[in-house]
Amino acid sequence: MLASVRSSTLDGIDGAVVDVEVHVTNGLPAFTIVGLPDASCREARDRVRAAIESSDLSWPMQRITVNLAPTCVRKVGAGLDVPIGLGILAASEQIPLESLADISAVGELGLDGSLRPVPGILPMVDVLETGRVIVAAADAGVAALGAGDRVRPVRRLRDIVDVVSDGLPWPHVEPPLHDDEIIDEPDLADVRGQASARWGLEIAAAGGHHLLLIGPPGGGKTMLARRLPGLLPDLSPEAARLVTRVHSAAAIRLPGTGLVRRPPFRAPHHSASMAALVGGGSGRVLPGEISVATEGVLFLDELGEFAPSVLDGLRQPLEEGVVRVARSGVMREHPANVLLVAAMNPCPCGEGGSVSCRCGPSSRLRYSRRISGPVLDRLDVMVHVDRPSPTALLDREPGEPSSVVAERVARVRELAASRGARTNAALNREQLEDAAPLDSEATDVLHQALVDGRLSARGAMRVRAVARTIRDLDDAGPAIRARDIYSAIGFRVRPPLGGCDA
Amino acid sequence: MREDACAAVLSGLTGATPLRLHNLLQERSAREALRAIESASIGTEVAPTDVLAEWQREINRVDMTAESARLDELDAHVSTLHDPVHPPQLISDIDPAPLLFRRGTLPDPSLVHVAVVGTRRASSIGREVARELGLGLAEAGFVVVSGLALGIDGEAHRGALLADAVPPLAVVGSGVDVVYPKRHRDLWEEVATVGALVSEAPLGGRPEPWRFPARNRLIAAFSDLLVVVESRHSGGSLLTVEQALRRDLQVMAVPGSVRNRAADGTNQLLVDGCAPARDVTDVLVALGLSEVAVATRRNEPEVGVPEPEAVGTGASPMHSAAGIGDSAAVVGRTAVVLDAVDDGPTSLDEVVDRSGLGVIEVYAHVEELVAAGLVVHDGSRVRRQY
Repeated sequence: MLASVRSSTLDGIDGAVVDVEVHVTNGLPAFTIVGLPDASCREARDRVRAAIESSDLSWPMQRITVNLAPTCVRKVGAGLDVPIGLGILAASEQIPLESLADISAVGELGLDGSLRPVPGILPMVDVLETGRVIVAAADAGVAALGAGDRVRPVRRLRDIVDVVSDGLPWPHVEPPLHDDEIIDEPDLADVRGQASARWGLEIAAAGGHHLLLIGPPGGGKTMLARRLPGLLPDLSPEAARLVTRVHSAAAIRLPGTGLVRRPPFRAPHHSASMAALVGGGSGRVLPGEISVATEGVLFLDELGEFAPSVLDGLRQPLEEGVVRVARSGVMREHPANVLLVAAMNPCPCGEGGSVSCRCGPSSRLRYSRRISGPVLDRLDVMVHVDRPSPTALLDREPGEPSSVVAERVARVRELAASRGARTNAALNREQLEDAAPLDSEATDVLHQALVDGRLSARGAMRVRAVARTIRDLDDAGPAIRARDIYSAIGFRVRPPLGGCDA
Repeated sequence: MREDACAAVLSGLTGATPLRLHNLLQERSAREALRAIESASIGTEVAPTDVLAEWQREINRVDMTAESARLDELDAHVSTLHDPVHPPQLISDIDPAPLLFRRGTLPDPSLVHVAVVGTRRASSIGREVARELGLGLAEAGFVVVSGLALGIDGEAHRGALLADAVPPLAVVGSGVDVVYPKRHRDLWEEVATVGALVSEAPLGGRPEPWRFPARNRLIAAFSDLLVVVESRHSGGSLLTVEQALRRDLQVMAVPGSVRNRAADGTNQLLVDGCAPARDVTDVLVALGLSEVAVATRRNEPEVGVPEPEAVGTGASPMHSAAGIGDSAAVVGRTAVVLDAVDDGPTSLDEVVDRSGLGVIEVYAHVEELVAAGLVVHDGSRVRRQY
């Protein structure tokens, strides 16, 4: 007998429909899966057999062939366990064949016959456009974002059999608790002193400008960076969906309601490989940290310790907002709209510039050489983060809270949207001409900075965008003034990495 | 056989110390010396017999035409003590240098030579002082002598080149064709083209550690005065000081902060009785020029100093010598910010605190002051610039 159950698998951050065809016939008992399954998918046999037997159903001692169509798509993970199980039950006449006509299923089976959640449930459910969709109870919230009330959350394989063969109603599954109301974002009010760095964060958040924090260890670079997502507005519905899809595909824990509403914050360790950062894998393309952080903040602590090739791999995604990763046979485009925040010490000992620096010129040079100029050039706002002074540390007065800053940030972001760009940093050359006209004095200042060699042509464009954000934060006047340009240049001056000989 | 190629070969012989070469060349030309070694007619007053035998073997293997071609290709020259262009200071020196490779044109020996040396691991302020000294001395008509090393030496050369007046003289430890440190390739070429670059090491001579004390002796031998800008507790520049003292040169040291490790050696020199060199004027006064004379000399066009107007377009903030006059022109809140910036490096947060203004405003005024050449902002700190 032949049975067919609709399901789907994960292909990058997208789902792909898979028809699970199960053929049960007489012959020596055997079980074969064909159709490009990966290892975890191939192991389905043992899980499905145990699950069927634990559910008071019987495993047909016949020749079983499972075909996963279309065969050209690589099937990954254990999400096909449930459809394979259902297919076997139907093909061995334990449940009615026709009951599977308008059902699709995605889920992993436990040996006890329970359904388990699988990574990437949202993109997988997204492609199952009609009929009821059976998922594990724990996946119910996220799956509902894609299939709405067509979702049938189930706890055990036996429950499905009861519904389709005995006509029992679908079991009621309690929706998971909403625990995302507690937003665990640290607040800027905890930061003492650090006047420049606060503004650096605010400008970066408001204009979407990539930020570089340089300073000695213990200055609070990481602490500051962690407070950046709290300044960003909630994700738009489209962005929230996109981020949820990516997080689902990357097997990152989603909030209880399923939808990621706050901008993500990702801080990969500096030992991260190229595949971990931009995405990849063997034979398939998993989203990397830059995609997981899309619409949020990607924090690279100890920038100087990242492998230079990995950092260079970020250049194209930072420029285009998407990352294209190719592996043999697959090419995937993943979102990569991140606000990059990098932190580094000025030199290996961390004291760079001050008289207590113990680094020789060559070690300082080696340190600075690890970071490519083009990557540094994309960090438009730079602040030096010093260890706070003791008086600032003992100051009882809390700083301005994140919520107040976030209001200003949201206002500037709305202005950018009215100019037709996501953020001021994303304004292209023509949009900048319109949105950031320079008054005559500002033109002179920018011109002089170019003549003096303090700015490159690219740097001048970036300074203009940052100046736009600074003016927006001030009074949102139409033209860019000389003082806005000066401030923007001030936030662009790099410390002498590697000393003056470089 | 070309005389210069012969000299080049002699310098490359194993164990050819300056003293041995001096004895060898005292009464012979380089060509005659080579012949004499070949025919084993050199006495043991020059070198022990085993060394002479080794020299004989080495000379037999030498390709003289290749050596000549190499010199021509580099546009390098070799002079011996018989040569009229050989620097007279080196012949009369207590450790004479009988043989010298050079690229570029040696400065007129009648000009006053001032050595500006210091540590390779210099502080940023040290570098700046070195550059200003190089600039000021060259503008005042002195030959700046240094070693082209990283840090102070390189900056002294850079300053001297910036002056566009008297070109500098670099004494290096490796062969004139072996750029060391590699990072100074451009500077090396510029000094060799505009000024002069000399070395005792043979062509292709590696920058081996033992060559540098000998190089330091040459720096001392060339110079009439030595200024140490920054030196660590037991830095190599102190060897140059020793060589200078053996030659009765006046040694000056730039005072540094007591917290600056790079200035430990120079501060010790001051304790030991060196004259302090706070700026170019101190050095010029030590050379016997009164401050008035310095001022007029600086404005004399025939010394090769560019007219202030010619450089006043702000191409380099260093040229805005009238800094104090300019700061009087700063008004309003910019002046408040300028008041909050002091001579020591100050963090921008401190400037914000002191001025009581907003961060964005402070950043704007600081950059305005940077553009006016009154303040230096290195990305982490700001300080006054005069």
